[in-house]
Amino acid sequence: MRWLTLMEKLRSPLMVLPAVGVIVILFFGGLLVGLQQSLGYFPAIDSYEVTLRYYQDVLSDPIFFESLWQTFRLALLSTVMSSVLAIALALVLRDTFKGSRFFTFMFQLSIPIPHLVAAAGIVLLVTQSGLLARGAYALGLIAAPRDFPVLVFDRAGIAIQLTYLWKEVPFIGVVVLAVLQGIGPQYEEIARTLGANAWQRFRYVLLPLIMPGVLSTSIIVFAYVFSSYEIPLLLGVRFPTTLPVLAFQNYQDPDLAQRPQAMAMSIILTVIAIVLLIAYKRLAKYTVSR
Amino acid sequence: MSSVVLRDLTRRFGSVTAVDRLNLEIESGELVAFLGPSGCGKTTTLRMITGLLLPTSGDILFDNKSIITVPTEKRGAVMVFQKHLLFPTMSVGQNVGFGLKMQGIAKQEIERRVDEMLELVKLPGFAKRRAHELSGGQQQRVALARALVVRPTVLLLDEPLANLDANLRLEMRELIRSIQRELGITTVFVTHDQEEAVMLADRIALMFDGVLQQYDVPHSFYQRPKTVRVAHFFRNDNLLAGVRRGEVIETAVGQLRIDPTHVTQPDGKVLVSVRPEDVQLTPKLGDSNCIEAKVLLQVYMGTHTQIQLDVAGHTWLVHGPAEWHVNVGEMITLQLPQARIWLLPTA
Amino acid sequence: MKKALRWVILIGIVIVSIAPILPQFIWSFSHRWLFPALLPTTWSTEPWEYVMTPSSRVGEGFANSLAIAVVVSIFSILVGLPAARALALHDFRGKSAVEWLLMVPIIVPGIVATMGIHQVFIRLNLTDTFIGVCLVHLIPCIPYMVLVMSSVFANYGTDLEDTARTLGAGPLNVLRYVTLPGILPGLLVATMFTFLISWGQYITTVLIGGGVIITLPMVLFPFISGTNYATAAAVSLIFVAPAVLVLFFTSRQLGRESSVMGGFGRL
Repeated sequence: MRWLTLMEKLRSPLMVLPAVGVIVILFFGGLLVGLQQSLGYFPAIDSYEVTLRYYQDVLSDPIFFESLWQTFRLALLSTVMSSVLAIALALVLRDTFKGSRFFTFMFQLSIPIPHLVAAAGIVLLVTQSGLLARGAYALGLIAAPRDFPVLVFDRAGIAIQLTYLWKEVPFIGVVVLAVLQGIGPQYEEIARTLGANAWQRFRYVLLPLIMPGVLSTSIIVFAYVFSSYEIPLLLGVRFPTTLPVLAFQNYQDPDLAQRPQAMAMSIILTVIAIVLLIAYKRLAKYTVSR
Repeated sequence: MSSVVLRDLTRRFGSVTAVDRLNLEIESGELVAFLGPSGCGKTTTLRMITGLLLPTSGDILFDNKSIITVPTEKRGAVMVFQKHLLFPTMSVGQNVGFGLKMQGIAKQEIERRVDEMLELVKLPGFAKRRAHELSGGQQQRVALARALVVRPTVLLLDEPLANLDANLRLEMRELIRSIQRELGITTVFVTHDQEEAVMLADRIALMFDGVLQQYDVPHSFYQRPKTVRVAHFFRNDNLLAGVRRGEVIETAVGQLRIDPTHVTQPDGKVLVSVRPEDVQLTPKLGDSNCIEAKVLLQVYMGTHTQIQLDVAGHTWLVHGPAEWHVNVGEMITLQLPQARIWLLPTA
Repeated sequence: MKKALRWVILIGIVIVSIAPILPQFIWSFSHRWLFPALLPTTWSTEPWEYVMTPSSRVGEGFANSLAIAVVVSIFSILVGLPAARALALHDFRGKSAVEWLLMVPIIVPGIVATMGIHQVFIRLNLTDTFIGVCLVHLIPCIPYMVLVMSSVFANYGTDLEDTARTLGAGPLNVLRYVTLPGILPGLLVATMFTFLISWGQYITTVLIGGGVIITLPMVLFPFISGTNYATAAAVSLIFVAPAVLVLFFTSRQLGRESSVMGGFGRL
């Protein structure tokens, strides 16, 4: 009997152990090594002293802050625009109508497509000699490629954001669609008989109901854009670039002494991400009190 | 409060006719039940009254004015659903005040009327609670308060008691009845439970397959059902084929005398019907309308005993005293009181 | 009016969905396509011929990407399923800590841990190896598997399993006849996500694979940055093919199984 209760007690920890083990060893182990190096503990270059010097170096570097701002700006803009568009499109796609399955399929099309492919497609479309520019020329809107606005390798990061929008709108949208399906039409019907017009039904009934799902996917999207490497490298300006790109450049510097700085940047990046996660959790708790 | 008139109201879903040329008048302040088995079109009708569903044809009038083009949110026909009752993102007070907020009424006024309404549904001081903290019965009452607070022209309740247990049902039934009386709101509720309809409603509209079968006071469904189907729905399957000639019905088990002022079927082929509780099991010598029946089965029901009988090839149910005992296969004599015999058309 | 607006939006969705992909078909068959021509002036199958040669390393990249994604997906299922189940259906001490541990890798940039791991892997001789790359891909894949599947398990519940057990089914039979068929639609979507996450990894592979383990995104990247668009388009299309195939098989679940996508809504 005692044996059985013990088994019962150990069952759940045993079930989560493999996953937790892999993540702790690989992810948190990696993080720990990074933390050590960021503090100057780096046996490969005979550095054993623990110091905050590298953090000071990073935090006194204007390039770091420019990159941080660029990363944050790109992530925030992409996330907010994706969420708003996703909600709007999910509301259009939620009704069943003739061909709704086809349109939903088309809407989901970009979900499995790798970001790199999306980036390639966007480049072909929006460069100054891209398909859009050629279309504009054919319509007589522009006379030469240089008349077309610079959307790639620009400071605003338009192409980067277009790539993320194209990828993330369907991702958030599909989640919102799933949530909408779970909610069903009844809450809106009640609101309607109680005299709520279309906007009021959306604002006071639907939006609070889908908000937890939107917030949750938004934070995933934000984190994804925040940690992006290859898209800003391909479509963005050299400077200011994003933090992951900057950190990796430092990491790959032949001068090994640059590594602790790269690690310090990474740790700062990690701290920001975790603070965001905690803030989100608080927000989610506040919004969802079901 | 308004009167409601449904005129030739029809709704088709593809090739299926959910509601077929429904004509109905509900007086102002009346409490009407839409009764019928699931899929009979009663909820469809309710949704058409709210405007959530457009009729295929026909008209709906509130106070003799057609409101068919008025959108749901401006009709004032408020619906209380059977589930998904309260907005989960709002407190009880916010739920009740929702309709008022939509009208742009001042916050203080909303609070005052919300408190008043919560008082009425016997949940004073519940405004700050979250919806999920409430029991099913309490949620139901909040939903009712939320509907009532906007002073609806018509209150529509979709199976209001369906998700409640037996005790709560009773309580809720009385609450609905008393509030409805007090406020005099024209109310329509949908149910599949004939007892519920009988106990609550002023009038019942019985529907089968999208067609109105009978619209009458509850009493009539027991004593004067229009068809065999209506009688069956109200648990009366005691039928006996016969031919009416004036005050006499010729049947296979002998002649029966009827009260000609009570029945409506003309001379000719008819079905004799007597409710289970109206059949007399202990006839006195010399009583008229006595017939012989064979006992098929006896079931003890606690407050009474139910006996299944064979009457000239028809299966009848009758009620006897709880302590009554008969043997299966035994022949017994029944007496059918003259004033309780109702005649139905043959199908 | 409202209907017209809806159709405009729907058609817009279709156009925007295919706009970055469809032109790549044309591009991959182009030889000479200069501004402002709307279609290539000279056509060619050259990009495709080049892609088929071993020196393009597309075949090698494809094989590596596929093998890594499959291994990572299988391992994610094996490790992730029990964890997802425990988190969804059981209460135990430290549960919220476990939830946090498994959530953080979704939020924290992958590059951070990868740089740390890189140092450890150098010492363990795991850099430049297939296994090393698989291991580093597991970091984002396992959390997603757990996230999606715990939602699926929570939605599926235990009633059917309990019924089967009272009917005499042993643990293995319950798994085989009740649990697996029940969660299969969700598992398919979750596996699709882990597959695609691994399939799309770039910088982690570059770092740990050290240029020895070449995957498709690594082949594609220089073609895009080098503005060799015709070849880039051809490689892109090869890169996309399995992904679209996967969507084709899972799109029904994606739309229908609200519990699956709902998982992302319950981070």
